[in-house]
Amino acid sequence: MSEPYELPAELNIYNALDMRDKLIAWVSEQNAKAPGVLMISAKNVAEVDGAGLQLLAALSHMEQAWQLTQPSEAFIEACQTLGFGRWLENGSERVSNGAKR
Amino acid sequence: MSFSNDSDADFIAQAMPAFISEAAEQIEAIETLLLELEEQPDNRELLDSLFRCAHTVKGSAGIFGLNRVVEFTHHVETLLDKMRDGSIALSPAISTLLLQCNDKIKFLVDTAADESADTPDQKDLRADLVIQLTAFTEAGLGTTPVIERATSSTLVQTGDSGLKVWSISARFGPDTFRNGMDPLSIARYLGSLGKIKSVRCGADTVPPLVNLNPESCYLSFYMDLETTSSRDDIEGAFSFVLDDCELDVIEPETPQQKLARAIEEMPETPRLGDMLVSVGALTQDKLTQVLSTQRQTPGMPLLAQTKIGDLLEAQAGVAPEVVAAALGKQQKIREAAPNEDRYIRVQADRLDAVINLLGELVIAGAGATLLARGSRQIALLEANLHMNGLIEEIRNGTLGLRMVPVGETFSRFRRVVRDTASSLGKEVNFEIVGGDAELDKSMVEKIADPLMHLVRNSLDHGLEPPQERVAAGKSAAGKLVLSAKHETGAILIQIEDDGRGINRERVLQRAWNRGLLEQGVVPSDDVINMMIFEPGFSTAEQVTNLSGRGVGMDVVRRNIEALRGSIRLNSIPGKGLQVDIRLPLTLAIIDGFLVGVGKSKFVLPLESVIEVIESGGQHVKADSSGRHCMELRGAVLPVVRLRTLYAVESALPSRVSVVVVNSVRGQYGIEVEVLLGQHQTVIKPLGRLFKALRGISGSSILGSGEVALILDVGSLGDLVTGAEPAPVIS
Repeated sequence: MSEPYELPAELNIYNALDMRDKLIAWVSEQNAKAPGVLMISAKNVAEVDGAGLQLLAALSHMEQAWQLTQPSEAFIEACQTLGFGRWLENGSERVSNGAKR
Repeated sequence: MSFSNDSDADFIAQAMPAFISEAAEQIEAIETLLLELEEQPDNRELLDSLFRCAHTVKGSAGIFGLNRVVEFTHHVETLLDKMRDGSIALSPAISTLLLQCNDKIKFLVDTAADESADTPDQKDLRADLVIQLTAFTEAGLGTTPVIERATSSTLVQTGDSGLKVWSISARFGPDTFRNGMDPLSIARYLGSLGKIKSVRCGADTVPPLVNLNPESCYLSFYMDLETTSSRDDIEGAFSFVLDDCELDVIEPETPQQKLARAIEEMPETPRLGDMLVSVGALTQDKLTQVLSTQRQTPGMPLLAQTKIGDLLEAQAGVAPEVVAAALGKQQKIREAAPNEDRYIRVQADRLDAVINLLGELVIAGAGATLLARGSRQIALLEANLHMNGLIEEIRNGTLGLRMVPVGETFSRFRRVVRDTASSLGKEVNFEIVGGDAELDKSMVEKIADPLMHLVRNSLDHGLEPPQERVAAGKSAAGKLVLSAKHETGAILIQIEDDGRGINRERVLQRAWNRGLLEQGVVPSDDVINMMIFEPGFSTAEQVTNLSGRGVGMDVVRRNIEALRGSIRLNSIPGKGLQVDIRLPLTLAIIDGFLVGVGKSKFVLPLESVIEVIESGGQHVKADSSGRHCMELRGAVLPVVRLRTLYAVESALPSRVSVVVVNSVRGQYGIEVEVLLGQHQTVIKPLGRLFKALRGISGSSILGSGEVALILDVGSLGDLVTGAEPAPVIS
């Protein structure tokens, strides 16, 4: 497994555009390096909003499966509140579209 | 209307009158409920009943294929439904509109069989009402632009204010983020309203990252929120995003609740098992299986047999909740059945025929008693006594059949008062007191119109406009009280207002002008007041379409006279007017007290008799003007001498008794010669010739075939106590 992608402290509408491009770049980079489950770390996330979570939801609709590691409290709370609790579960089920393969 | 075949058409034709009379009841109920709802707009039960009534009318009209009724009522129902949702509150305008619509429904039902009654004018009127209804319905949506998922049934959960699990689904518009809104904060806020049982974010519509416009919102969520908050509170969370958000807030039902509701909605559900099968809680096979188990329980007495409900729970795995709902429904059906049978509609003329026969029976019974007494056979007398007791019971029971509470008539006036007052720009608090007092059905029908006229008269002429009232130091809203109570052998109906009272000077002036009184003659106040009942009399400066055409009041008097009733006015200028209407309870049979003067027999209504002073006649003294009186326990009691009054010819009796009676004018005595005791009296009207006879209200045939005259205690009292012409009309 490769190094997890570190989400920024602010995962919100203000940097959503920027984050999208960064994520796309990172995903294709990882894909080129070693295809597999992408690891995304949310340990630094202090502020998150719907737009931020939407980015990850959009990521789930990509080819690559991903998995969340070390979610911060703020991130956990946001996921639970908006109904993305499934990301927080450990194990491979959370791999969103692994079944497709 | 088109029906599938002749037998259907026959059935419909037969059932139609029943439908119309039932629908009339519902329509009347709608009106009452609407008026009550105006007073208590937050009363949920009233609103529910209202909806049910409208729904019933629509439903049964549907069965009869009365499409006009169904179509029109549907719009009313829609508006009521919105009101039950809480998205529209009852306003005076809505109330008025609904009342108008109710009138229209009534009209449509009444003319259901008559296609030609649906003139283009009527159609226009109806279309106009529908437009108004729709306007309200849609305006209600406008204030809360929420797409409410209609529950499949018309039976919306009434819901209590307690903890409920709401299921909320929200699909946010693309501009949500750009508008500075965030589904996450909305979800957080919802969390603060109660407990989020579950939440799932609908991310399916979010495009893959490469196609994502990160500043557009694609999110939606589905949340089960357990809260005591109302729908409004929940929807309030979305108030800033409503413009581009699809929101459903519904009270979810568990599958059990759904089944329970389906059972509740079933129109007729005879058997528990069938009920459950038809809603899908149970398969037919399983039911058969369980039923056979129940039958197979060997040697068990019926009572000890396992209940089918328990078996279904245990063996077929039907949830107890569902079984309970089905049982509840069964119970309701059982309870409802006797309710439906509690009333039988009987044709009035059949009832009248029975009452006529009863009259003959009473007379025949009196004849038999006479013969039995003559025979001096104890056994015969006893048998006769028993029979008379039974006749009396039958009489009371039969006459009771015709008794209906006057309240039914009274409540009709609520609408009249409301509409009249608003068209006159007056405020009125209308009260009904003693609506449960009972009166003969035929009387109730006949008294309705005169009462209506008097009520309108009070509203129109009696009560002043608000500013005038305030200037006179009264409250802006006038008071109008309609009351009924029993008095001895009569019912007293009062219409009381706190308006300006009768303007005696103007009445007098007009009476002079119209030649009703000789110019310059000033009679007593009572007489002046009663002038308003003279034919052709009207004091209204402005003739309104409500009253004041001068054709009504004399008709009122005639109608009340025709019922052997009396009318009396009690007017305090500037303070108000009280109209007392006294009516006999029944037109047919009364308990009488039979007395004799010479060879003539007279009957006094037993209720009016207070006491009898035997040989009291020797104490009666005549004053200078020939009026008689006696001393009774230290007070002067006026006495009427029937022998003199009606010029009865006979030898002077050795003993004269005095019967003390109570009248509206107070107590007085009647001098009689023979006391014959209690007597069931069948009232026969007096012929035209004797109408002018004062103090006599009717006649009766005695068992012996003799005719007895029935004394009218009221007018006789006027003869005794008042020297002047009696202002009481009777």
